[in-house]
Amino acid sequence: MTQEFKPNLVGYLCNWCSYAGADLAGATKLEIKPTLSVVRVMCSSRVNSNLVLTALAWGADGVLIAGCHPGDCHYEQGNYYARRRFALLKKILESLDLEADRIQLSWISAAEGKRYADIVNDFAEKISRRGPSPLRNHSKI
Amino acid sequence: MSARIGVYVCECGPNIPDRIDIDRVLEEISPLKDVAVAKRYRLLCSNDGKKYLADEIRSEKLTHLVVAACSPRDHEKTFMKVCLEAGLNPFLFQMVNIREQCAWIFSEKSEATRMAVKYIRAGISRVTLHEPLLQKEIKATPDVLVVGGGIAGVETALSLAGQKRRVYLVERSDALGGTAARLGRLLPHQGTDMRLIQEKIEHAENNENISVFKGCEVEDIRGFLGNFEVSLKRSGGEPPPEMFRVGAVVVATGFALWDAFDPDVTGYGKIDDVVTSLEFEAMSASGKILKKNGSPPRSVALIHCVGRKEKGYCSKVCCLYSLKFAHQLKDSQPAPDVFEFYSDLCLPEKTDQDVFEEAKKRGVRFLRADDIRVEGRNGKIRIAYRDGSAEEAVEVEMAVLAPAMVPAPDSDRLARMLNIPLDETGFFKEAHSMLDPVSAPISGIYIAGCASGPKSIPESVVQAQAASGKILSVLMLGKTLEPEVKVSTIKEELCTGCQTCLNVCFYGAISFDAFRGVSVVNEAICRGCGSCVGSCPSGAISSKQFTYQQLFKEVMEALR
Ligand SMILES: Cc1cc2nc3c(=O)[nH]c(=O)nc-3n(C[C@H](O)[C@H](O)[C@H](O)COP(=O)(O)OP(=O)(O)OC[C@H]3O[C@@H](n4cnc5c(N)ncnc54)[C@H](O)[C@@H]3O)c2cc1C
Ligand code: SF4
Ligand code: SF4
Ligand code: FES
Repeated sequence: MTQEFKPNLVGYLCNWCSYAGADLAGATKLEIKPTLSVVRVMCSSRVNSNLVLTALAWGADGVLIAGCHPGDCHYEQGNYYARRRFALLKKILESLDLEADRIQLSWISAAEGKRYADIVNDFAEKISRRGPSPLRNHSKI
Repeated sequence: MSARIGVYVCECGPNIPDRIDIDRVLEEISPLKDVAVAKRYRLLCSNDGKKYLADEIRSEKLTHLVVAACSPRDHEKTFMKVCLEAGLNPFLFQMVNIREQCAWIFSEKSEATRMAVKYIRAGISRVTLHEPLLQKEIKATPDVLVVGGGIAGVETALSLAGQKRRVYLVERSDALGGTAARLGRLLPHQGTDMRLIQEKIEHAENNENISVFKGCEVEDIRGFLGNFEVSLKRSGGEPPPEMFRVGAVVVATGFALWDAFDPDVTGYGKIDDVVTSLEFEAMSASGKILKKNGSPPRSVALIHCVGRKEKGYCSKVCCLYSLKFAHQLKDSQPAPDVFEFYSDLCLPEKTDQDVFEEAKKRGVRFLRADDIRVEGRNGKIRIAYRDGSAEEAVEVEMAVLAPAMVPAPDSDRLARMLNIPLDETGFFKEAHSMLDPVSAPISGIYIAGCASGPKSIPESVVQAQAASGKILSVLMLGKTLEPEVKVSTIKEELCTGCQTCLNVCFYGAISFDAFRGVSVVNEAICRGCGSCVGSCPSGAISSKQFTYQQLFKEVMEALR
């Protein structure tokens, strides 16, 4: 059992910027660790605590939310909502002692393939070091 | 009837098989519940591929389709069209991205294959939850409402009016033309022919495709791109003149001059012959620039930037029209002394510097001043000013104030009615000040001229023409509009009526049904962003194709 821990990550990406950024990472053949499964949403504002907590409860070791940079949201203000909601969720996780750094919010534009690759790889690395989520074995799907 | 899902893995030439073991994928996918067929194909987006796919849908009697290939951003539309042709509702289809976000980023083939299986399983388990949706087409009215009959509104109306397109031009005052029609002169490089503006106004008045409503305002407006219902009211309060439908709205309400300045500092209203720039224009238009006592002024102070500090922005045209005044004064015989009190000079156009140099040559004195106080003294006007520390003073017979340009009165009411935002300065906010400067953030509403901030006449005209161009390309005659299909809906049984969603929706697509105590989405306006879904504390809202259940299925497969 000396095998390296491979985290299982979920990434909610907004359709207009971050998903396109992820596509660009592929189109430019950047290497990304196979740890994160992408779930496409139209806008980061769609992602709320329900979606994040469900993923954690079902055993995700980390959840990434990515949207357009502030001011660039396809729907004008969506990512501002996402930012506020994320801050609140983070506080809740902290107050419950639930390893709040397992969730991350990042801004990734359609032109930032490299940034997408770096963010995913860094996030994977960080969560690898942290080890499996304590919730992993408590819940079964 | 049970579901028959067809799963087709595209090779995309060598792109996918090089990095993903497709046979292995098919082996894992085939036994899954409801999967009727799982096959591979060389190039699904080719003409052969599309035909193959359509044949498969028909011959295999597929109820759902999953295509694992490139990014949906590339070919989702392509395959939706194939579905439509083959008689399958195009929303009972899910595209799975195993090229950009799988084959091309994972270096080990076994890992890429494992991830591809995950993604395809996610696609399969969500697709059975898809709802067949209908792409609606709405008939759009090509007619347009223009609010504000200044030069921007007049130009918009003239650019749009045509045989099959009526323009309703609504002007609050009793004359078209706005400020441009009330000027005594144009800027030096704009020529001397004031009739040009008058002619535009006459063309608008006489155009049979333009309905001009003077002395009127918008009473109410509701609807969406292609279909707004408008009612007007007469400013005097008489019965409303008309109701009509338009497909787009242009806000061309222009500006007003700031008038909240301190009479103790500016002397305005307290000292004779202290006038505003527009009052000066009126004198100039009447051909008589005279003091109250009827004699021409022998010295004039032109005071720039009145209110710039208070308002926090530069009004852009005041320096130039003050220079215009200076030249005009110097043209008269005998020419008075002219002093320009400025804090910064704004001379942005290629011809402006010349106008300034010329004014200096003609003896106009330019005095930099941070603080200015206008005082009455023995029937004369004393301008006390300060540039740096020492206070100095000049005595003149007339002073002309250049107040900041501010939004037209009641802009906030119009903004609320149209559901569009104002910015920090109170002017109408552009959808994007750099990339989309003549659109409001809501589809079908445009902004032209000074309604979005201070501008010159040519700049206002450019915006009017740009807004018209946008409208002509969206509301094409005889074409229908396809509204967003993947909209949000609210489950009445779950809605508590808290109205959180109402405030979150940027497009004003949600309204409150007070009788039933619930919020309702107007599907014609909704863009399907899902902000409201994310915000609803009761989970009462769901966005089509992105329901909780569908997203949870994807998460479940990701974590399997
Ligand atoms: C003193 C002065 C001198 C100037 N000289 C020059 C010059 O020489 N050259 C130059 O290029 N520019 C000049 N300008 C700038 C020029 O006046 C503006 O660029 C131009 O008037 C802008 O046109 P507009 O149609 O956007 O706005 P406006 O001229 O303000 O017209 C807006 C119209 O909308 C109407 N309106 C407002 N709200 C409503 C409503 N809710 N419902 C219905 N109607 C409404 C108003 O009554 C008005 O008629 C000058 C400005 C000033 C103040
Ligand atoms: S947020 Fe939810 S519960 Fe509140 S009004 Fe909107 S739909 Fe109803
Ligand atoms: S999905 Fe977006 S546009 Fe549609 S009602 Fe909700 S917040 Fe408004
Ligand atoms: S569309 Fe990207 S964050 Fe809203």
